[in-house]
Amino acid sequence: MQIYLPIAEISLNLYLLLGLGLGVGFLSGLLGVGGGFLMTPILIFLGIPPAVAVSTQANQIMASSVSGALAHWRRKSLDVKMGTVLIIGGMVGSVLGVQIFGYLQSLGQIDLVISLCYVGFLGVIGSLMLVESVNAIRRRMNGNPPPKRKRRKRRLIDALPFKTRFPVSGLYMSVIPPLAIGFLVGLLAALMGVGGGFVMVPAMIYILCMPTSVVIGTSLFQILFVTAVTTFLQAAQNQTVDIVLAAILIVGGVVGAQFGVKAGAKVKGEELRAGLALLVVAVCLKLAWDLAATPNDLYVLIEAGGAP
Amino acid sequence: MIRTLTFALALTSLPCLAVAQDAPPAQQARIAAALTEDVVEIRSDFAGAPLTIFGAAEGLQDGDDIVVAVRGPERDLRVMKKERVLGIWVNSAPVRFESVASYYAVASTRPLSDFAGFAALRRNGIGMTHLPLRAPDEERTETLLGVPDVVVSDLGAEIVDYRQAIVRNKTRQSLYVEADSGVERLEGGLFIARLFLPSETPVGDYTIEVYLFRDGAPIASRETQLQVAKAGMERVLYDLAHDRPILYGLLALIMAALSGWLAAVVTRNR
Repeated sequence: MQIYLPIAEISLNLYLLLGLGLGVGFLSGLLGVGGGFLMTPILIFLGIPPAVAVSTQANQIMASSVSGALAHWRRKSLDVKMGTVLIIGGMVGSVLGVQIFGYLQSLGQIDLVISLCYVGFLGVIGSLMLVESVNAIRRRMNGNPPPKRKRRKRRLIDALPFKTRFPVSGLYMSVIPPLAIGFLVGLLAALMGVGGGFVMVPAMIYILCMPTSVVIGTSLFQILFVTAVTTFLQAAQNQTVDIVLAAILIVGGVVGAQFGVKAGAKVKGEELRAGLALLVVAVCLKLAWDLAATPNDLYVLIEAGGAP
Repeated sequence: MIRTLTFALALTSLPCLAVAQDAPPAQQARIAAALTEDVVEIRSDFAGAPLTIFGAAEGLQDGDDIVVAVRGPERDLRVMKKERVLGIWVNSAPVRFESVASYYAVASTRPLSDFAGFAALRRNGIGMTHLPLRAPDEERTETLLGVPDVVVSDLGAEIVDYRQAIVRNKTRQSLYVEADSGVERLEGGLFIARLFLPSETPVGDYTIEVYLFRDGAPIASRETQLQVAKAGMERVLYDLAHDRPILYGLLALIMAALSGWLAAVVTRNR
């Protein structure tokens, strides 16, 4: 059954969109990532204008993270204080990102920048995660105990000012690193139509050294607010949020996310991370190939609105 | 079908409706056209729509041909050429085309080149190769072979590649169509043209031109209007998004928050 999307101005198959929402929602709940890094390229591939795909994705991710964050809230696996610091950084990033998005769109380079961002981020993060999780799985199979965490050396991060205590995570650290991470994620949310979980989860584990148990809940908490701001700004400024498309993706997404959270409790952390890493690397390779392969048509048409 | 045909016939008997533009008075050729619907409504189940144009030609002779051209609302278009930079393809060399038809379909009784002269097609902008595609920013006038004020493009021959790219891209999206046998001649000077508006059809005002060709030139023509508009829920949402963007943004937030919360509550109680 075809459904016409009022802002994207294209009609697509309703069941295809529902299925997409379900699948990506499942991953969202399972891995604590918004799933935007999968959904946005697929939506663009289906013919939805990139601007609409990115903005609508923010709206959909917001709904998934509401339901995901609530589930973690009930299980108390969420650091509200850390989340709040990340959100403050995220909002600034999002506001800036929406402006950059509009500027790049007027230059006709938005597709390229979106793709390059994807290839860069997904490539680096995917391969790092893959190496780390495969090593962890190998160690477990060989029966070796995980290497003892040595007393950390005094790192650069520890030298930063504005220190505060994060009781839930059991950390005492400067607010600058989480602010910076939040900012970066907010920027990505606006530019790439992603929640940013795939950047934030590793950053929280490896840079902030947060306990894995609260990482996913906290990242969903932050994503929720940053995508809310992004959705609102894109709608108010660029009129690119398609509420019908978002509603369809949300219906599939929220259901999928609940199953994902449940499934996540049964799977081992290393396997989960290895699976996510493989997915990230696969999407990265696909996008890199599309950038480098000779296109079918060397010319592109871009609708030019208003004055030159 | 019968009803619509009688309707089309009735139109021809109204003298004011069928005025031939270029026809010399002696030939008395007239042509008229009517649509099954004057407004195409885009609702949530819109997946493209057939466009049927009925018409009648008075004084139609054997060997005459009929052309139906549908033009969508004009938009400005930026065409960019991809170039390889450091191994990746980058959009570059933008050319701005102004007032490009967002939709263009031409249906005829036979292939255009079989019956129509170059000048007639070019003058009326009929057919993909004669569609006016202008990039005023790149234009200048100069004197060529003693002829003053000839409009030439700064891009030289390359402008042709850009024009072809527009036609190629639009054709791929089914927004530009050339239907060689899209017009069917019925009895008594009646004809019917069948075209299709794809789901990407832009909203706006469309003009439909109907031509009667004899000896390579149009001897009668007629223009009618078609409107493509969003309707129902689609219309409400589209207007809301553009007229009250803040309200629309808040609505999107509330919808997402509610549905996320609802899902969490439902699955918890299970």
